Amino acid sequence: MRKKKLEPFTIVSIVGVGFFMVLCVVPFWMIISGSFTAESKLATTGYSLIPQPFSTAAYEMIFTGPTVLEAYFASIFITVVGTAMSLAATSGIAWVIARRLPGISRPIAVFAYLPMLFSGGLVPLYLLVTQYLHLQNSYFAVILPLLVAPFLVFIQVSAFRQLPEAILESARIDGAGEWRIFFRIVLPLSKPILAVVGLFYAVHYWNEWFTALLFITDVHKYPLPLLLQNLIQNVSFSQMLPTTAGQSPPVYQLRLALTAVTIGPILLAYPFAQRYFVKGITLGATKG
Amino acid sequence: MSALQTREVRRAASKPKPAAPPRRQKPLRGNLWVGLLALPAIAFFVVFAYLPMVGLVVAFKEFNVADGVFGSPWNGLDNFRYFFSSGEAGRILLNTLLLNTLFLAATLGAGITLALMLNEIRGRFFKRVAQSTIFFPYFVSPIVISIILQVLLAGVGGSGGAVNDALAGFGLPTVDWYTQPGPWPWILTVVKVWQMGGYLSVIFLAAITSIPEEVYEAGSIDGASRAQMAWRITIPLLRPTAAVLLVLGVGRIFYGDFGTIYAIVGDNGTLFPTTDVIDTYVFRSLRQLGDFGTTAAVGLFQSVVGFILVTAAVLIQRKYAKESSVL
Repeated sequence: MRKKKLEPFTIVSIVGVGFFMVLCVVPFWMIISGSFTAESKLATTGYSLIPQPFSTAAYEMIFTGPTVLEAYFASIFITVVGTAMSLAATSGIAWVIARRLPGISRPIAVFAYLPMLFSGGLVPLYLLVTQYLHLQNSYFAVILPLLVAPFLVFIQVSAFRQLPEAILESARIDGAGEWRIFFRIVLPLSKPILAVVGLFYAVHYWNEWFTALLFITDVHKYPLPLLLQNLIQNVSFSQMLPTTAGQSPPVYQLRLALTAVTIGPILLAYPFAQRYFVKGITLGATKG
Repeated sequence: MSALQTREVRRAASKPKPAAPPRRQKPLRGNLWVGLLALPAIAFFVVFAYLPMVGLVVAFKEFNVADGVFGSPWNGLDNFRYFFSSGEAGRILLNTLLLNTLFLAATLGAGITLALMLNEIRGRFFKRVAQSTIFFPYFVSPIVISIILQVLLAGVGGSGGAVNDALAGFGLPTVDWYTQPGPWPWILTVVKVWQMGGYLSVIFLAAITSIPEEVYEAGSIDGASRAQMAWRITIPLLRPTAAVLLVLGVGRIFYGDFGTIYAIVGDNGTLFPTTDVIDTYVFRSLRQLGDFGTTAAVGLFQSVVGFILVTAAVLIQRKYAKESSVL
């Protein structure tokens, strides 16, 4: 099977994959490089591959004013609290479904999967959150509508079902209650899948801007993506940001710097986290 | 079928009841006790999935905030009539179907191609780095994608742009991308391929890995080249997996990818003729016109047609899933 000789198709493959890799890397490099390039150059070329002339003006602005730090706080709050709540809710329902309890598990499974087939849509959700729950300008308006993703429940159910029954049985014989089994045995044994599901939720919350766009109007509560969107769509928004000694702010550079700051955490965590994502998708795709 | 089985199990379990009544009670109470773990998620689904379904009655009402969802007067099918006679309905539905078809075909094609190519790479380190790299765009916010596109097509300040510089470098005329609706279906397709190609390649690669090695050994004994093996062995064996993904994609064809399209196009009206889909239309009429009734009617129409398509897709998918090694 293994041949030492390189076949044409293998060469084409290496070139093809390499090309796609370049396409995936270059845009991010342009963002990062551009964010360190002086405004005067960005205004004429619109992008930059080499940060020349070098400038950190945008980053200085970002980290001295409160606006971006507030947005960072909002995003971190939504991500951390949201992921914790989502993990708790998802593990709970997934365990109940995975247990195959007669008369309980199946109705709950149908109940959880049905919303994947039919949804009420945007308008009822909007009315619910704004008119009845009154969650406008609360971080929970971003967290709660996304709390449980049926797809991730599905992944976790199939992972729970792979736990060795013998361990659970022996715990039962030793007299452990159901909750104790769940918290002391099931959850600690499921750390890898909890990491996978938690990471999916975390990325989702970090990137979420649609619910924020709908429900958050107070600038001081904007999460990062929403702040970024406002900065792209209207230049005058940058007037909100602090200026140094009456100079006009480097708007274009600021856009790129804010983008870099938004993808930064994902970019940093990615090398450590990516194998979990691959595992998660493979697990979700493989027949449980 | 499983419901039947469950019922049988329950019946069987209840049979020894007269023999040992105290033992019977404990497991049931235990079960309900475990069931409590599902309570937070159930509360979520009731409030954020099932209540909005009830809220869809707004589609048949002349909604006003003061009277609320249930107090507002009914107006029959007026909201639906208004949308379908607005002249925009045809364009929006067509865009939704057209764009999603393009996205589906292109992303599946790219996913399979990338998986085949990744499968050829023998160096383990390079393969891992390659896979991680092409998977990365999947994790990027649509807003960030929209900035990237701006940098490439128009320059971050609205002048220049990398693509136009490249065009000029080859002596080609530059294009004012954000004022030309024509190329946008293709631009969005490229964006989707960029975003989803790596993700789908992971799924297809998992399917390729599950193909037994002997099949390739037989091929190599018969003197097949790597390309022939990819074309004649791998691709035919990937067909069930691709069919499942295709069917699921067709099931969701009525739901546009709101996030990506709205983040990129926003309220740029010049691009609407080719990029406005149901989701973006719904969002705009809700935010800008505050027309809850019509918007809910469009949403209901989308949900009903979507439900029919998804249900049909799931039924067909079950048929294919038997043959597919994954999904």
